[in-house]
Amino acid sequence: MTTPMLEVKGLSTKYVTRFKENVYAVDNVSLSLEEGQSLGIAGESGCGKSTLALSLMGYYFPPLHYMKGDIIVDGKNISGLAPDEVRRSILGNEIAYIPQSAMNALNPTQKIINFIEDVIHAHNPDMSKMEIYQLAAERFETLGLSADVLKMHSVELSGGMKQRTVIAVSTILSPKVLIADEPSSALDVTSQKMVIKMFRELMDKGFIKSMIFITHELPLLYNVTDRIMVMYAGRIVESGTAEEMVFDPVHPYSKGLMNSIIVPESGVRDNKLTAIPGTPPNLKKPPSGCRFAARCRLATDECRKSEPKVQHFGSNRNYRCRLTEAQLREEHSND
Amino acid sequence: MKGYRKYFGKKIIWLIITFIAAVLLNFILPRLLPGDPVAVITARTAQGVSEASAVKQIYEDYASKFGINKPMHVQFFSYCKNALKGDFGLSFSQYPRPVSDIIHDAIWWTICLQFPAIVIGWFIGNFLGVLAAYIRKGFDKILMPIFLFFSSIPAFGMAIILLVIFGIHFKIAPTSGGYGFDLIPSFSFKFIGSVISHYHLPFWSIVLISIGAQAVGMRSMSIYELNADYVKYSRFMGICDRKIVGYVFRNAMLPQITGLALSVGTMVGGALVSEIVFSYPGLGTVIYQAVTMSDYPLLSATTLIITIMVLIVSFGIDIIYAFIDPRIKAAQFD
Ligand SMILES: Nc1ncnc2c1ncn2[C@@H]1O[C@H](COP(=O)(O)OP(=O)(O)OP(=O)(O)O)[C@@H](O)[C@H]1O
Ligand SMILES: [Mg+2]
Repeated sequence: MTTPMLEVKGLSTKYVTRFKENVYAVDNVSLSLEEGQSLGIAGESGCGKSTLALSLMGYYFPPLHYMKGDIIVDGKNISGLAPDEVRRSILGNEIAYIPQSAMNALNPTQKIINFIEDVIHAHNPDMSKMEIYQLAAERFETLGLSADVLKMHSVELSGGMKQRTVIAVSTILSPKVLIADEPSSALDVTSQKMVIKMFRELMDKGFIKSMIFITHELPLLYNVTDRIMVMYAGRIVESGTAEEMVFDPVHPYSKGLMNSIIVPESGVRDNKLTAIPGTPPNLKKPPSGCRFAARCRLATDECRKSEPKVQHFGSNRNYRCRLTEAQLREEHSND
Repeated sequence: MKGYRKYFGKKIIWLIITFIAAVLLNFILPRLLPGDPVAVITARTAQGVSEASAVKQIYEDYASKFGINKPMHVQFFSYCKNALKGDFGLSFSQYPRPVSDIIHDAIWWTICLQFPAIVIGWFIGNFLGVLAAYIRKGFDKILMPIFLFFSSIPAFGMAIILLVIFGIHFKIAPTSGGYGFDLIPSFSFKFIGSVISHYHLPFWSIVLISIGAQAVGMRSMSIYELNADYVKYSRFMGICDRKIVGYVFRNAMLPQITGLALSVGTMVGGALVSEIVFSYPGLGTVIYQAVTMSDYPLLSATTLIITIMVLIVSFGIDIIYAFIDPRIKAAQFD
């Protein structure tokens, strides 16, 4: 087997608030991402998706703190590197990031091209401005953006343009892994489609080698990603191929998430709309046992007491629940 | 360019309105002061003259010379006409010296003192402010109270503190004047050396005040900017801290520039008071003398000159601002 572009083993991180409270927002997350693969991460608001995105880059600054785990980028373990080393050699270069608030991600008083120069010079100080301009102009046009955008300030761009510009800027150095945090949530449907198309192009043209796409809209991932992980309260509760996760979720939370979608993507079945009752737990004091137990229809005292183990079935499906696959399917079919 | 034209158009209209208001106020206010300065001059000239009609004759002579026997509006128009020619009439207190001559002697002292002091104070203040925001910890804990102290004492307070400490206690700097009282202005080393040593205290008192005021504002602006999304994004794109602090400095400085345009008047006012404390031969001291001697031609001319300088400077700042903040251009297009 080839080396994965990104491999994460048992990563845990926490926020330390101003009042010295710990918020355990990412708990023991493992994942593996092959070349050419895209991985979706879905979950409700506040379940730790953005924190996971930040944690995956191996560069931490307060209030976020690293606790344990390994991050291996194309065979190289970056968890042991000094923060400055990670920033200089990995960020923007091997792992690129698109923040959740991509609309505000660009410095309002800087021309796009000047920011690109700074990004490239951070990793490749010898490249001349002329070369950078040529690279950027060519890349922008390949991705369907006008090269004129380079001479503009972000305030002169519309929301959708800003979003696509940030995507093009983030991937300017052809990173091995792109981590996109809700890159399409704030956009109208047309712009969303353009953004999705852009990601496909990036992958097809080899401008990125693999991708992690984070969203709270599970069905959206069906068209974009190969695999999907569902996250709940800082943990991965289920993972499988996009197809399996959208049409055949087994974990009660994934199931609930699929049923609570307001506008089903075309091609994904019609849903009866049922919200998951309750709210996610407070991550300052995560409940013992299964973190979903308080909201789970199937929860028993046992669930609340002991941590559920990760169970496997099929070719590569995992879920974190005490019940067996058969028991869960039985329960779901009773609905 | 259309966006800019609209912006500049608006700014110029405001400049003209403020200018007219300033000229009017400058003319009227000193004339509302109590006391009759012509009577004072008459008394001085007429010393020893005991005959009442002769004194009255002298008084009327002066009154027509100064033009104060004409109606207000006539006075105003001839004032404007003459002012355009640079003629502000004759000083009452230093009669028969022309006002323009007094101003001409004083204005360069003020410009050479205040312009560098305000600019340097502004830059150092902003630089320390962004540094305090970026480093935080001990650096900030020590600097912040100092900035707050500097920004909250009035200009003359700072001038007096420096005067007492360095001028009187340590005796390392002269306490008054722009140069040694026994010297005649010339291009000799002795004179220039004396000017420089007299320059220090007023200069630093203005610099320190501006540092304090700027640093406090800049620090909070920078803290705000450091939490902005673009800072986080730049970090995750691998850009080094030095560059990012540069972005933050620039963006946090923009509101400080508008702030400067608004506060340059106050700053000049404070600096003029520092001049008085040090009896510096600039416009501040001239104004002070003009006030104490009810010399209203001199007073209205000096205040007018200062108002015009402040208006021009803040207009200039507004224009520069438009070119360095692209948001202005974008906003005017909406
Ligand atoms: N700076 C912070 N300090 C302390 N706690 C934080 C901080 N940022 C986030 N959290 C907490 O960490 C948890 C996870 O937040 P995160 O932003 O990762 O959620 P998310 O899944 O991305 O949500 P959304 O879909 O709304 O973006 C939340 O409980 C949140 O309150
Ligand atoms: Mg988020």
